[in-house]
Amino acid sequence: MTEWIRFALPVTAIASVVSPVYAMEYLSIEEAQKQAFPSATQFTAVQAGRIWKAEAGGHVVGYFIFDRVVGKHLYIDYAVALTTTGAVHKVEILQYRESYGGEVRSPSWLAQFVGKTNASPLKINGDIRNIAGATLSSTHVTEGVKRILATYGSRLK
Amino acid sequence: MAAASNSVRRARPLLGTFVEIEAAGSFQPDVLSAVEAAFEAVSTVHQLMSFHDPDSDVGRLNREAHVRPVPVHALTFEVLEAALEMNRRSNGIFDVAVAPGLQAAGILPKTGRDVSLTAEPGATDAIMLLEGNVVGFRDAGVRIDLGGIAKGFAVDRALSILRERGVVNAIVNAGGDLACFGEETRTVCIRHPRDPGRIVCQIQLVDAALATTARRFDPFHSTETARPAIIDPRATVAACANDGATVRAASCMIADALTKVVMIAGTGATELIEQYSASALLIGSDRGLQITPDWQHAVHLAA
Repeated sequence: MTEWIRFALPVTAIASVVSPVYAMEYLSIEEAQKQAFPSATQFTAVQAGRIWKAEAGGHVVGYFIFDRVVGKHLYIDYAVALTTTGAVHKVEILQYRESYGGEVRSPSWLAQFVGKTNASPLKINGDIRNIAGATLSSTHVTEGVKRILATYGSRLK
Repeated sequence: MAAASNSVRRARPLLGTFVEIEAAGSFQPDVLSAVEAAFEAVSTVHQLMSFHDPDSDVGRLNREAHVRPVPVHALTFEVLEAALEMNRRSNGIFDVAVAPGLQAAGILPKTGRDVSLTAEPGATDAIMLLEGNVVGFRDAGVRIDLGGIAKGFAVDRALSILRERGVVNAIVNAGGDLACFGEETRTVCIRHPRDPGRIVCQIQLVDAALATTARRFDPFHSTETARPAIIDPRATVAACANDGATVRAASCMIADALTKVVMIAGTGATELIEQYSASALLIGSDRGLQITPDWQHAVHLAA
């Protein structure tokens, strides 16, 4: 093999004008509910916008809990499906967003996503479908699942 | 490229990161159940090979294999075989017995049985792979961590499940270790190791695997990146002259393991890369980027 080809990377300090955003929408709450409990014919809210009871033929088949983790440059919507015995049936990421150059906690940043669904996808860095590099930790979501389990695991029966 | 109508894209928290699967086939319900089975396969690898879980094969090996031979799952055995082979071919640079060193560096947690917190160079030689998927350690100081290879293996497993189930086009991305099959050309964006909001380059990939090892970060807290979770088994301190390495190979397990060798040996890994018919990209801490000559057509630097 001949020599490796060498390039110099631009200096990090020169940031691009647009704040980089990486966003992915996987499922709406309704889609995630149906896929977590395909047999369910009805989802009744136990706590509005957060907890649902999945029922099939008058029997409870499980619970569906929606949660969000919001960090400095990241927010993730996820859902935990619990069995009737309070065990984790499934954890699914619904939406994933990274943003740099501004904190995602700011109300204006969050507001631009309100009401967006799979049917109306946002066009931000739409060309980035696959990303690699520094490995992202999923600890915050795993901790969220543990919290949900501790709070609701035994109560929703 | 627009997604096919029977295309499914899902993400779940597994292997300590986010695992994303995109699959397309002729019948949506079949694609969905294939994706479900593929996540299941990733979860199985996670359960078998986690260093953190005392009940995993790795947990049991680190606790008992120096006392008595421990039977492990065929998948764990397969990964250990590949790891030992890579250790031999890389002259000890790829080493799954670096766990004590990773613990000393604070990258892995301490466990109850930490005899020593220094990785012994050549400790991999003390791992015995025996008949019937049984593993023994000749030395009480040996502790293994499959973190440098198991993620790639999990991606390969997920992909083969999708293929078996009739999916025609798929990509599995486990936090940067990814592999795809089908005719579609995938564009993978590589983050800048020191500024992960920025893209260093884009890589075109068809029917191949790509693994990246780089500095670590969590945008939940900060954009600051931390040093890579890599140590040189030949050195006593956790140090790495490079910021990131990306490798293309036929399997994600091989690509994953090779990134560790490229991170440590840099361009010194050329011969090994050739042996595996792989390609590599290296980002040095001096911000220089180097690419193996066979790969320059598929790598596009960002402006």
